[in-house]
Amino acid sequence: MADDDKWGVAHVHASFNNTIMTVTDLTGAETIAKSSGGTAVKQNRDEASPYAAMQMAEGVAEEVKAAGITGLHVRVRGPGGNLQKSPGPGAQATIRALARSGIEIGRIEDVTPIPHDGSRAPKGKGGY
Amino acid sequence: MRVAVTGTPGTGKTTATDALAARAAADDSPSDRLSVGDSTLKIVHLNEVLEDEALYTEVDEDRQSKVADMDALEAWLEGRDDVLIESHLAHHFAADRVAVLRCEPETLETRLTDRGETAAKASENAESEALDVILGEAVDRHGLESVYEIDTTNRTPEEVASALEAVVTGEREPSAGEVDFVGYLA
Ligand SMILES: Nc1ncnc2c1ncn2[C@@H]1O[C@H](COP(=O)(O)OP(=O)(O)O)[C@@H](O)[C@H]1O
Ligand SMILES: [Mg+2]
Repeated sequence: MADDDKWGVAHVHASFNNTIMTVTDLTGAETIAKSSGGTAVKQNRDEASPYAAMQMAEGVAEEVKAAGITGLHVRVRGPGGNLQKSPGPGAQATIRALARSGIEIGRIEDVTPIPHDGSRAPKGKGGY
Repeated sequence: MRVAVTGTPGTGKTTATDALAARAAADDSPSDRLSVGDSTLKIVHLNEVLEDEALYTEVDEDRQSKVADMDALEAWLEGRDDVLIESHLAHHFAADRVAVLRCEPETLETRLTDRGETAAKASENAESEALDVILGEAVDRHGLESVYEIDTTNRTPEEVASALEAVVTGEREPSAGEVDFVGYLA
């Protein structure tokens, strides 16, 4: 991590059957690349979801490398973000595809929002 | 039979369940009970149980939200088998059918701020809804064959109550992931 300029942040949003990603500079102010989404084929969701997310990530990785970025910190939001088995495994597929494309992966942070009103489930209870 | 009615806060669980109970009351059954077919379900508003029985472990100060004591809630539910459990926590417990209410996130955010919630609360819940957090948890725990997704966007509470009734009577087929709200995040 010698040259900070070459690092960016990948914001991964992994929902039940869609995964989208935005890559920004370290401050989050400038958008470097944006995915159009890796939507699963509903009939075959189990296989399609990580596959679609992987393809989406490969496309973004090329754009990111063309912009001179060599490493990405990852901020994951979504049920697939806690690295457990879940119906939205797009997050892990995305991170793996980024790494395979030769991008160095830095910190991985899970910033999945918590549904809440006057009460909420304990952390780690979500996602199963 | 145990039916869970879950969904992100603001999707209209309490409103729809009350509407369903009001129908049952009109049919002369007590207002906290639903007679559907040959079963009678008692309606449990689990958030009220959590408050009344103090079944939480701590308070999340950032969110002004009590952290549910899941073991204590599970123990409280033990033996209560003919119930309809209404709460955004309901899918964390054993159930035969799980209805997951959905709402387009911007609409949800407006419903919540109109209900008097803070902007921060409305927006974290809208983001949770956009990411299908509760739907994902429900499918993980109960499987696709037990989950019934109900989109409440542009539906009246009465229409949502009818959809819930169809889940209870078995007239509705399981479904999940039919809405895609991820555009809210782009
Ligand atoms: N079907 C609906 N259409 C429009 N507004 C609704 C609907 N259902 C509920 N609301 C409104 O949205 C807010 C949240 O409803 P509520 O039943 O309290 O949700 P929940 O119990 O899921 O948190 C309330 O102000 C309610 O009046
Ligand atoms: Mg409620």
